[in-house]
Amino acid sequence: MTYVLNRLLSVILTLFLITLVTFAVTNILPGDVAMMIMGTQSNPEALEGLRESLGLNDPLLMQYGHWVWGMFTGEWGNSLIFKKPIAELLLQKAVASGIIVVMSMVIALALAVPLGVWAAVHRDKWQDTVSSSASLLGVSLPDFFWGIVMILVFARWLGWFPSSGFVEPSEDPLGTLQRAFLPSLALGLGLMAHLTRMTRSTMTGILSQEFIRVARAKGLAERTVIWRYALANAIGPVITIAGLQIGYLFGSIIVMESLFGYTGMGWLTYQALLNRDLPLIQSTVFVIAAVVMVTNLLVDLLYVVIDPRIRLG
Amino acid sequence: MKRFLTTKGLIGIVLLLIIAAVAIIGPMVIPPDAATAMDMTARRAPPSMRHLFGTDQLGRDMMFRVILGARTSLEIAVSAVVMSIALGLPLGLISGYFGGFVDNVLMRLVDTLLAFPALLLALTISAVLGPNIQNTIIAIGVAFTPYLARIIRGEALRVAQMPYVEAARASGTTDGMIMIRHVLPNILPAVIVQGTISLAFAILAEAGLSFLGLGTQPPAASWGLMIQASRDQLDIAPWTAVVPGLAVALTVLGLNMFGDVLRDILDPRSK
Amino acid sequence: MKDIVSVDHLRVEFATDGGTVVGVQDVSFTIAPGETLCVVGESGSGKSVTSLSLMRLVEFGGGTITQGALNFTRADGSTLDVAAASAQVMGQVRGNEIGMIFQEPMTALNPVFTIERQLTDGLMLHKGLSQSEATERALDLLKSVRIPEPEQRLKQYPHELSGGMRQRVVIAMAMACEPKLLIADEPTTALDVTIQAEILALINRLKRENGMAVLFITHDMAVVAQMADRVVVMYQGRIVETGPVAQIFENPREDYTKALLAAVPKLGEMKGKAAPERMRLIGDEAARAAQAPRKPRTAKVLLEVKNLTTRFPVKGGILRRTMAQVHAVEDVSFTINVGETLALVGESGCGKSSCGRSILRLIEPTSGEILINGNDIRALNRPDLRRARADMQMVFQDPFASLNPYRRLRAQVAEPLQNFNLASGADLEARVLDLFDRVRLPRDFMNRFPHELSGGQRQRVAIARALALNPKLIVADEAVSALDVSVQAQVLNLMMELQEDLGLSYLFISHDMAVVERVAHQVGVMYLGRIVEIGPRAAIFDNPSHPYTRSLLSAVPIADPATRRFEGDMNFKPISSPIFPLGHQPAKSQYTQVAPGHFVLQG
Repeated sequence: MTYVLNRLLSVILTLFLITLVTFAVTNILPGDVAMMIMGTQSNPEALEGLRESLGLNDPLLMQYGHWVWGMFTGEWGNSLIFKKPIAELLLQKAVASGIIVVMSMVIALALAVPLGVWAAVHRDKWQDTVSSSASLLGVSLPDFFWGIVMILVFARWLGWFPSSGFVEPSEDPLGTLQRAFLPSLALGLGLMAHLTRMTRSTMTGILSQEFIRVARAKGLAERTVIWRYALANAIGPVITIAGLQIGYLFGSIIVMESLFGYTGMGWLTYQALLNRDLPLIQSTVFVIAAVVMVTNLLVDLLYVVIDPRIRLG
Repeated sequence: MKRFLTTKGLIGIVLLLIIAAVAIIGPMVIPPDAATAMDMTARRAPPSMRHLFGTDQLGRDMMFRVILGARTSLEIAVSAVVMSIALGLPLGLISGYFGGFVDNVLMRLVDTLLAFPALLLALTISAVLGPNIQNTIIAIGVAFTPYLARIIRGEALRVAQMPYVEAARASGTTDGMIMIRHVLPNILPAVIVQGTISLAFAILAEAGLSFLGLGTQPPAASWGLMIQASRDQLDIAPWTAVVPGLAVALTVLGLNMFGDVLRDILDPRSK
Repeated sequence: MKDIVSVDHLRVEFATDGGTVVGVQDVSFTIAPGETLCVVGESGSGKSVTSLSLMRLVEFGGGTITQGALNFTRADGSTLDVAAASAQVMGQVRGNEIGMIFQEPMTALNPVFTIERQLTDGLMLHKGLSQSEATERALDLLKSVRIPEPEQRLKQYPHELSGGMRQRVVIAMAMACEPKLLIADEPTTALDVTIQAEILALINRLKRENGMAVLFITHDMAVVAQMADRVVVMYQGRIVETGPVAQIFENPREDYTKALLAAVPKLGEMKGKAAPERMRLIGDEAARAAQAPRKPRTAKVLLEVKNLTTRFPVKGGILRRTMAQVHAVEDVSFTINVGETLALVGESGCGKSSCGRSILRLIEPTSGEILINGNDIRALNRPDLRRARADMQMVFQDPFASLNPYRRLRAQVAEPLQNFNLASGADLEARVLDLFDRVRLPRDFMNRFPHELSGGQRQRVAIARALALNPKLIVADEAVSALDVSVQAQVLNLMMELQEDLGLSYLFISHDMAVVERVAHQVGVMYLGRIVEIGPRAAIFDNPSHPYTRSLLSAVPIADPATRRFEGDMNFKPISSPIFPLGHQPAKSQYTQVAPGHFVLQG
């Protein structure tokens, strides 16, 4: 219980630090924000007006305080390009992104765990070479390249899936999944390659441990040794590693959602960045970092449930 | 140096040598305007003897553009990784060696930075600074720094607890000398391995940034930009995506293979 | 009666990157029912490969049995050549007809399964028991290996048990199906001496009760003397000598066996001798002849430690606040005279290493005084401490970690001299050369890197480095524990020689009572951070007065088959935790003097 409480305190501290970093990255770096938003050719009065309305003429510390207070009280302001309340926009897009993040993680894990175990068991044999080569190739291709290939093959040539867009699950649940599938698959393949490598090295380490030899010395069948004794020990580390990839996924959805015109958080972030919508940039960056941090926390807590050494220790 | 010349290592080295040669020598030997010359009679021409890798939407020769793009990609990736090592190495080294309060503060900061996806951080920095080659380097360099700092700190912590460090301290070696003589050489293998792997990620990040229009800007040639341009003409000119995609893939593959082999050789824990 | 095992010309090869390596060759021996056969050898002798081959586990480590037969008499009286058996048949043999226990109890149990699950799965597999029958049998097994509160243990996970307890569980697992043969591969090497005694006694009792044969693999001649009926001595993958235990110890035929035995310190053999004595190593007669007659001791105090206390914070929570403290060293006082050795002995976690490090302030003591030649080490600021450390150097346990792998040995030995600008140029070179001569290493080793040296050679380099500043005191923290016994003897002799020549004092930290008896002038026995008994060596070994010292001495295996110690059950008091809540004020250490200079902790 103290553990959970401590982690909770740590979350609050980290959230505070996240606001600090977000603000620093978007403000303290050289460059005139107003000019960044309106472009260098805009007239001075308009620039000054924008500065005033965004509070850019206040001291930085005050701007920061103002912003954090707004985030804390739910006054997230309006997006400059969408002319809508940011909180509403984010809430709406979060569902879409949640779907592909979960979907790609499921695809990646479902393929990576068996493949990684298979490679570790047949270490240095042809099976290992096949699995390692495939995963090397997987991590070496940019995931947007996979995305393009999938659009070409599954959407254009085969016509199995729509190539772009997003529909609300409340309107057409099947359509939502259909549209989420290709971007998820493209994200999942890159992730799978990475997780396969990690599963393999985790399993290799576990298989060289003494308790595996003890299990064999008991006369247990090799499949029991691997799929029960060894895998039970690998699950925790693999889930942790997968959890750490949440950050990577939230980076990749920016590219993938833009590529597929899938209007989620990634797409929103991209629009904000492209149009220099400062309030929206700050909010999306903060929310993504916060979500990543909270997910990592949940994964840590999950590990505590899985591993008796921490649970009782 | 046993096991260096495994098949994997050999393929990796050969790939890297070819790509490095293309990136360094290529731009010097191709005709000066070859990559920008527009052959309007052969727009989106498939690979042929005239244009080995085909042409793009403006009729520019894909092969020459890929060669120019190699230089841009490698220049950005190498500079960004050098920058992140230059920032992360002292940070990680000091944090790991001294531990205590400094370590707590620095690592709390690094942990916070790690909550920001590297690509998001790089995109934001690039967007705020204004996208161009120099700012792409800064964006990727800053975004990668926490990862390197974290790994270097772990290594420094491990080495700082070795008996040879204690023995050096007992025999009057100052902290500065211990870091230079004992800690640094022993974490260097890990830094090299991580640097190689980071290079691979940096290539991908640069391609991603440019693909989104927040990295290298036209008319400069970049693999990411070329893939972006191919999006609207996939059906009629798939080679415009495949050629730069393959270039990225082969480079990253070479770096990853080389990195794997380096890790096997250099990482003391893998022995 | 038919032999239970008959190994005939076994040869095992390993495929490595550098080509095929022969693990063992031409290995033949037999084990009779109810007999304990000890296979003894130093590292690389192939003793473990032999035992793993018998279980056909060697192939999981990349080995292949390329020659020979491993005949095993099965429960039904038929003979099975293990080398040619199918995987299915081996599944019936392993854990059912042959049980095996390993070296590392801390990692031998699956951390994510309960003890119950790990004890019962073999029973259900081999004996076809139901879950409840298997659980009942598991309970009996835990009782038979004398685990306290067995019902509770079944529900626990491995990390909740101590190392000794885990090894008992591993033994219970191996015994579950009442095998006719138990293979024990270095089962006590990772354990403290009292726990080792308990485990050895346990194996002996189980063997008697079940009439099973034991194949016991070890590097420790003293354990061999205590356990074996017959002995196989191995060296570099081959059998050197085989014979009944008495014959091996009293009348060894082969030179290698003789050398091995000569290098083993035998507890009690120093009785009646006033000063430490070098070992009589075979082939080292010259060094022995050169041993100068001991100078009379001047009894001048070099190091005085008063009420030394070192506590480590146990941190937790988000603010990394100190939640509790490890009382590693608690109110410890002693003195070391010039040219003498004080040995601190004790089991793991007793605080002996922390005590050594505290004296050099490699870890900061919490309180107390450390006076070297009257100079108070704890009062020094950083620059002064740096200079003062020149008088006190340290030699560490792990020869592989105590040298920087990326620096030439010349640079590593020269570093202390350069730190204080004591020498440079040709003078520095000459000093380094002299140091290499001192520790009897060839001069051309100077240009080598650590990985080009053996463990013993590295430890000599570490000693040379420690000697560079002409220290008065060397803290040797388990300095010979990681070495093979013959190398250990050579390094011990070197240390004693240096003491005689240079008048060095040692703080000799060790867990090995037999070694301590050889090298020490004074002995301090540590338990839970305190010295429970301290005095002249003879007083401690001849008249141990604290109960802990007595139990420690009674647990040490003696390298003499005529004195068997582990026939009955042995149970020592488990060591309690040195972690206390913040603000805990332990009582001061009060001593009773039982003889001149011989003190025993009260209470």
